[in-house]
Amino acid sequence: MATPQVHHLFHAPIADHSFSSDKQTLAVARENNVELYQSSGNKFALSDELKGHEKTVTSVDIAPNSGRIVTCSQGYSCLQTVMPMSGRRPPLAGSPPLVLLRINRAATFVRWSPSEQKFAVGSGARVIAVCYFEEENDWWISKHLKKPIRSTITTLAWHPNSVLLAAGSTDSHARVFSSFIKGIDSRPEPSAWGERLPFNTICGEFLNDSAGWIQGVAFSPSGNALAFTGHDSSVTVVYPSAPEQPPRAMLNISTRLLPLNSLIWNGENEIIAAGHDCEPFRFHGDESGWQLAGSLEKQTGDGSGPREESALNMFRQMDLKGQTQVDTKLKSTHQNTVNTVRVYEEAGGQVRSFSTSGVDGRVVVWTV
Amino acid sequence: MSQSLRPYLQCVRSSLTAALAISNFASQTSERHNVPEIEAQTSPELILNPLTVSRNAEERVLIEPSVNSVRVSIRIKQADEIEHILVHKFTRFLQQRAESFFILRRKPIKGYDISFLITNVHVEAMLKHKLVDFIIQFMEEVDKEISEMKLFLNARARFVAESFLTPF
Amino acid sequence: MSQINYRTINIDQLDPESSANFPMETLLPATLPQPETSSDAANVATQVRQLLRGGDTEGALRHVLDTAPLGGDDRAKEVHLATVIEVLQGIRQAEMTRVLEGVCGADGGAERADCLMKYLYKGMSAPAPSSGAQSPRKTVSPQETGFSQVQARNVGEGGGGQQMSVLLNWHEKLVELTGTGSIVRVMTDRRTV
Repeated sequence: MATPQVHHLFHAPIADHSFSSDKQTLAVARENNVELYQSSGNKFALSDELKGHEKTVTSVDIAPNSGRIVTCSQGYSCLQTVMPMSGRRPPLAGSPPLVLLRINRAATFVRWSPSEQKFAVGSGARVIAVCYFEEENDWWISKHLKKPIRSTITTLAWHPNSVLLAAGSTDSHARVFSSFIKGIDSRPEPSAWGERLPFNTICGEFLNDSAGWIQGVAFSPSGNALAFTGHDSSVTVVYPSAPEQPPRAMLNISTRLLPLNSLIWNGENEIIAAGHDCEPFRFHGDESGWQLAGSLEKQTGDGSGPREESALNMFRQMDLKGQTQVDTKLKSTHQNTVNTVRVYEEAGGQVRSFSTSGVDGRVVVWTV
Repeated sequence: MSQSLRPYLQCVRSSLTAALAISNFASQTSERHNVPEIEAQTSPELILNPLTVSRNAEERVLIEPSVNSVRVSIRIKQADEIEHILVHKFTRFLQQRAESFFILRRKPIKGYDISFLITNVHVEAMLKHKLVDFIIQFMEEVDKEISEMKLFLNARARFVAESFLTPF
Repeated sequence: MSQINYRTINIDQLDPESSANFPMETLLPATLPQPETSSDAANVATQVRQLLRGGDTEGALRHVLDTAPLGGDDRAKEVHLATVIEVLQGIRQAEMTRVLEGVCGADGGAERADCLMKYLYKGMSAPAPSSGAQSPRKTVSPQETGFSQVQARNVGEGGGGQQMSVLLNWHEKLVELTGTGSIVRVMTDRRTV
């Protein structure tokens, strides 16, 4: 395993990050702004700042093909900017297109659909706004997915067909919705999730036994399985059977780790997740069962190992010297909670490298 | 360190580590607000089951976790009246200067002597494991401090009594 | 009507759509076992005592954790808690690790470990702070905190130290085995014991 590429950008939490498709531009959400970094050599240098949000930016996403950046913030606004082309870097000209979200609480999460015709915004107003472009008014208008969400949406993920949308919420349910919009989407192929999919069809609603807030969701590359991670330190994988039927298998892997915040699929049989343990973990399995395969960090062993040891050392030090030993550095690459895991490079569903960002102001690119 | 203190602190440490998995979370009740949910108590689903760690009936720690904040309340050992007074004075002294301690709450919650309120901002600005270390260290030190003060107080009282009674 | 101060009414409580009225029962899984009464719990207690007398501590612990009244009423939960603590106290310290590995290693062991963790925390929170002795001292003003204040107070090491140290020992052993994840699940799981 190659050493992970660490980009320590600043000393502030990164709520979310996104690379452009050519990996030359990196957008990170830092407090009330979004900062754009340009790659130069093997470093990233600050090139632009997107201002306009008046509250903490919670999420940022660059559409791979069109290069459009969409961001959202706790001030319940959502902004869209066309990315400056690398090299020429024209200024971020013109006013950004208007986005009508019609929500009155924090916007928590935003993601482009794979088709890039739509994007979905999760919010604390207990709705998901699915936004699409309306030609005649020249604005992005939204339709709300409302029922049966009972709490803040924390995370979203798109199905490869751009119609199905998975959402995780603090009401501990992971749900799969249809976000089919007439005139924008083509009729999707029937799948195990459903055949006819009018807007706001609930294709699945899942709850863990130990009911943690859902922090991360992801569809497998084929779209035929859903994985979600909750605040109960577990990862759950759901294999749907047929529309309106209970799932074929719902496998819960409860771990001995701290809660995981974000996860991605690597092929159909591997999941990579990271969170409060500050390092990414690998899960292996299939429909018959999943298990934790270990950390992707160089030194293997569970996250709690070094910490227990440091506690012991601390007590010993206190006994000897009457002071705590200086162990301010964690052994993991990230020094604080990891917020986002994203695919960096992939080929045919197999992830070759992925990137993580966290509260410690680092963006790390890992090779699988 | 005494034998029974170690498992107690170890238990507090692991419980705190688990509880401090908190993240930035905007209020879903009031617009454009971001408040510690454990204090606001507006959405029951955002508050988790509280954990109590106790060493005996007189020494315990209450950890109340929520989505973006954790409240830690400590009941300090008070073996007698003097210690009780000392603890009261000591925690009062600290609480009056709460802003210099960042995570200290100005008022303890009922039934406890001192409370800390740790929010996602603290966890982001400071190292999480160091915050845990701080609380553990505080718990250790405060016991030591109180017994030291008690000894000192007794010594002084003896001295005062002696010099007061010398003329007689 | 003049008695009601309209300014102090929490209107959020009255709105069924408000987040203050979140339906907590939606967080309970469909697999929740049938409600149990205290007599069911007492039956379990007798069975467990038999196992304990027979020297099968591992079996006793496994049985008591498998029959946890997750859907029971408060009374049943209390009776069951007493049984669990009895079992835990009946196992010698030297045997703890072996018993835990046996109970939590087998099929369904993860759930048992989580359940045991719940009982450990519940056991520790059981003797609620003696509010009677506590509340007067909280209201004492600094002036009155002089030496004259010699009210009867539950001083000293306090009661329950023995039981707590047993629970703390179990906690330490269990964390070694199942990590912090198990503690996190105690917090998130709405199926309380």
